Amino acid sequence: MKLKLPEDISTPQDFKSVILDTQKYAHWYAQNSVKQQLPSVKADEPPVISESTINLIKQLVGEKTLNKNSLDELIANLKSLEASLPRITITLAAMPTSSIKKTLVSWCRENIASDILVDLRFNSTLLGGMVVRYRSHIYDWSFRREILAARERFPEVLRRV
Amino acid sequence: MTINIFLQIFLIINIFFMGVLATIAIRHAQAHFKPAKVEPGKPVLPVSSEILPANIKEQLLKASQAQFQTVMQHSAAQFHQDLQTTAERINDLVKRLATVIVSDELERYRLDLTRLHNQAEIDISGIKKELGTHESELKAKVAQELEAEKKQLIKQIDTKLADAVESFLLETLQHNIDLGSQTPYLIAVLEEHKADFAKEVVDET
Repeated sequence: MKLKLPEDISTPQDFKSVILDTQKYAHWYAQNSVKQQLPSVKADEPPVISESTINLIKQLVGEKTLNKNSLDELIANLKSLEASLPRITITLAAMPTSSIKKTLVSWCRENIASDILVDLRFNSTLLGGMVVRYRSHIYDWSFRREILAARERFPEVLRRV
Repeated sequence: MTINIFLQIFLIINIFFMGVLATIAIRHAQAHFKPAKVEPGKPVLPVSSEILPANIKEQLLKASQAQFQTVMQHSAAQFHQDLQTTAERINDLVKRLATVIVSDELERYRLDLTRLHNQAEIDISGIKKELGTHESELKAKVAQELEAEKKQLIKQIDTKLADAVESFLLETLQHNIDLGSQTPYLIAVLEEHKADFAKEVVDET
């Protein structure tokens, strides 16, 4: 079964934070298990984990009950997924807003891979457009490249004016 | 050269004949004015002189003197005439020789001049041809260099202009980027290259 990543886990950083959250939860779970055996010790509150992390954990664990071993296995699985999930890097001319981010991520998940991680960066010298890096290729669709490619035509255009 | 030698030989022969004639004349004069002495034992041939009377003797002497003088005068005149003729001939010959020599020299000079003129004409035409070729080569080279220089300058101006426009656009536009208005364009670009991504996935698998 192919993993369906939630919309808000779209970047490698998001996925890294899921792993960190899970590790934090596993750590709390291990400590809490010990504490539960001692009636005099009061158990701590569970750490705050994002909704998307909970959804992902549920998706991965399924019907199995959580214990120390299954959490360790989950962390190992998540680390393995982090290394194997497809990634695409999109560099834009400005910091993308959440709507643009959402649009681009959904397009990538619909058209390239449902579990793809989209690494969004920005570089103002691009002026517009984007530079996409996917697997071994870099596609430069920036305005800067367009301008530089058409620089030979500037004098010609100016002569016509 | 041959003519000079011939002339010299001719003059030497003339001088020799003049010497012979002068010697004969001197001997005749000497025999007439100083007769040879008669030796005592020898018989005198002109016996008849003693027989001839003195007046006849005198007359004969005068006649022979006159005849000798006539002969001498005639010889001198003839010699003078011969000498004059010879001199005239020599003069004519010299003139002719001079004329021939001068005309030959002039002809040779003319031929030399013609030859030199032709040679000079050939040389000048060659030089003119070379100059023409060199001139046309130089013109072509200069035109080519000028054209190259022109193209280079135009290229430099175009490059500078392109740099200026490019810098202007980069400086101006990078502070006014609106990604919101670019979203449809970004999606359109991605849609346009969807096949490339699919191909990447296929190639990878």
